[in-house]
Amino acid sequence: MILSLFNLLIFPGFLFLSLFGLAMEFVDRKLYARMQNRIGPPWFQPFADFIKLAAKEEIIPEEADPVMFRLMPVFALTAVVTAFFYIPLWGTHSLFAFNGDLIVVIYLLTLPTLAFFLAGWHSTSLFAMIGATRTLTQLFAYEVPLFMAVLAPALLAGTWSLSEMTVFYQVHPAYAGFNIIGFIVALIAIQGKLERVPFDIPEAETEIVGGTFTEYSGRLLAMFRMAIDIEAVVCASLVAAVFLPFGFGLGPAWGFVIYVFKVLIIIALLALLRTVLARLRIEQMTIFCWKVVAPAALLQLLINLILSGVL
Amino acid sequence: MKWLQKLITWARIKSPWVIHFNTGACNACDIEIVAALTPRFDIERFGILLKGTPRHADVLLCSGPVTRQIQDRLVRIYEQMPEPKFVVAVGTCACSGGVFQGCYNVKGGIDAVLPVSAYIPGCPARPEAIIDGVVKLLSSLDPKPAATLPETTTTAKST
Ligand code: SF4
Repeated sequence: MILSLFNLLIFPGFLFLSLFGLAMEFVDRKLYARMQNRIGPPWFQPFADFIKLAAKEEIIPEEADPVMFRLMPVFALTAVVTAFFYIPLWGTHSLFAFNGDLIVVIYLLTLPTLAFFLAGWHSTSLFAMIGATRTLTQLFAYEVPLFMAVLAPALLAGTWSLSEMTVFYQVHPAYAGFNIIGFIVALIAIQGKLERVPFDIPEAETEIVGGTFTEYSGRLLAMFRMAIDIEAVVCASLVAAVFLPFGFGLGPAWGFVIYVFKVLIIIALLALLRTVLARLRIEQMTIFCWKVVAPAALLQLLINLILSGVL
Repeated sequence: MKWLQKLITWARIKSPWVIHFNTGACNACDIEIVAALTPRFDIERFGILLKGTPRHADVLLCSGPVTRQIQDRLVRIYEQMPEPKFVVAVGTCACSGGVFQGCYNVKGGIDAVLPVSAYIPGCPARPEAIIDGVVKLLSSLDPKPAATLPETTTTAKST
């Protein structure tokens, strides 16, 4: 009981995740700055941003629905933290594993996007509403490729459980090499899920002010930013567990180092994508996702189907 | 609870998010503000980020004299910002009305309408001066150096 509480709230639960998420935000921003030939923010920047926002006044617009407006940040944060417990991190087994947790993780990762939508919708501000509808439009574009990309390795392993999948790839490490297309598709889809360049269309501050979060301020905004940071870490962990299933058998200490290293690599790849690309328009993004990314994910599914028959 | 206050002050100094509002400038000051946001000056070093919405911002960068038409909008933008908030007047016009002083359509400097925390003179104010102004304004929040920094004004270096 005490151990579960410790796991949930401190390590590897909420506290660890928050600190790790903020640290990864720094890594992302620093890499982004260095790749643009800038010096970039100091290491404490995300922490300072968070504390400052938490200490600021919190304005709830008169027109907005106060309950939904307050609830949505909490909802987003809870969903991403919960998803984290089902992902195998430094051992082959996650904290709480059951058959089918892969599907649960993907659905839990969809919830923040839904929370962003509802938050924007209930702000009843014009810009927030445009941002909200764009969030949903975008969701339909990247979600399907992400599903297919993540399910393909599961097909090869013949299980719906993330923990059993890592066990399978632990025994057959070479099989992970077949999932390279899925890895790329997942990276692109995650960029969309995190609403970062080139898929930051819902937040496009040059067009629609602040998008979904236009009306959010103070503590609620801090919570949303925290949810996005944690979401980045959780998505990176999911990709690491599914597509980079190495180094699980070396005990917790080495496992932890390798886990952090894997997350760092994925965050660096995402930062690289963010640096070299510019924002797309919403219909360009949808067309790209359905005409290029989704067929690639289908191809991966096909390859894995044939492989699982042959091998 | 003193350490908490200290922590919050530290965070405020380290993370000023700005929003830029043209109150009727001739556009040169705006271009200098935009120039200050470019990678060349890299204001993210100081934690400064440009925000699109007043709800996220801490510092309102105003450029130009307040025209009668913009007055209501300016006050509205200001009121949409959550506390604590600061106003920085960028450019001579924003400080005093400048060359537009006494025009039939101009109210005067920003301080004719809003409480201004820092004045950055210059026609137009240079990006260095703008960054310096914002950083000085925020360091004046820190109780210690406040004794040596009674006025949060800056002077633009001429080239
Ligand atoms: S200070 Fe000079 S550059 Fe700036 S708005 Fe006034 S006239 Fe234009």
